[in-house]
Amino acid sequence: MRTAHQEQIERWALFVKNNPNSWKKTHTRFIDAIFAKHYQFRKELLKTPHGKEKLKELYLIKNVEGYSWLK
Amino acid sequence: MERSVSDRNILDKFCEDFCKIIEKHCKYIIVSGFVAIASGRTRGTEDIDMIIEKLDLKKWKNLFEDLKKRGFICMQTNQAEDSFKYLKDKTSIRFTRKDLELPEMEIKFSKDLLDEYQIKTREKLHLTKLDVWFSNINMNIAFKEELLKSPKDLEDSRHLRIVYSEKVNEKEINNIKALIRKWRL
Repeated sequence: MRTAHQEQIERWALFVKNNPNSWKKTHTRFIDAIFAKHYQFRKELLKTPHGKEKLKELYLIKNVEGYSWLK
Repeated sequence: MERSVSDRNILDKFCEDFCKIIEKHCKYIIVSGFVAIASGRTRGTEDIDMIIEKLDLKKWKNLFEDLKKRGFICMQTNQAEDSFKYLKDKTSIRFTRKDLELPEMEIKFSKDLLDEYQIKTREKLHLTKLDVWFSNINMNIAFKEELLKSPKDLEDSRHLRIVYSEKVNEKEINNIKALIRKWRL
């Protein structure tokens, strides 16, 4: 049985196919919001004890030279 | 390619800027999740996967230094020689823009005939509005359905099958699946 989630994926895929010049605006807002949320979270995490270490561990950053907020 | 600048999201800009540099040094393809996302799939990702032609150390150093010069940082090491060892060991290396841990570009060398075939049959996808080389649609569908197989990958495949219905070639997909079984499983 198809789930509501699968149906939603198909509906959106059809929208993209049939609206090649308008799907991108909605999609861009969605993608950018994910990263905006992440950077907001990172800012808060950096204020906490061991925030830097947690971020280093989360993103497996070994080259700290490239990320000034880790120094 | 018709588009307005405001249409480009963070992943699009990151990918195009990165690919512009890579293109000067070697052939590459974008594979896996970002193919579906750039084609309109609404899901998040933290990384974009790229396969590049195998390079020798000298050529790799030039590429690595060019990336550094243009503001991209390797997350594992600041040294081209060290990063080359990762690639030779078939481990991916990850790049981000300086000071930003996300998004990241995950690079691997082409490792077998299947990767070489993917690079040879790469294509640009007009629907994405990105000037970037992608692994072709039939190849992506075959990998997602035959090798990767997670719910997320199967949803990506469903999305690609619908948005690129005119490109989907079942015979080609089945041939690629046979190659995946021979070389990867």
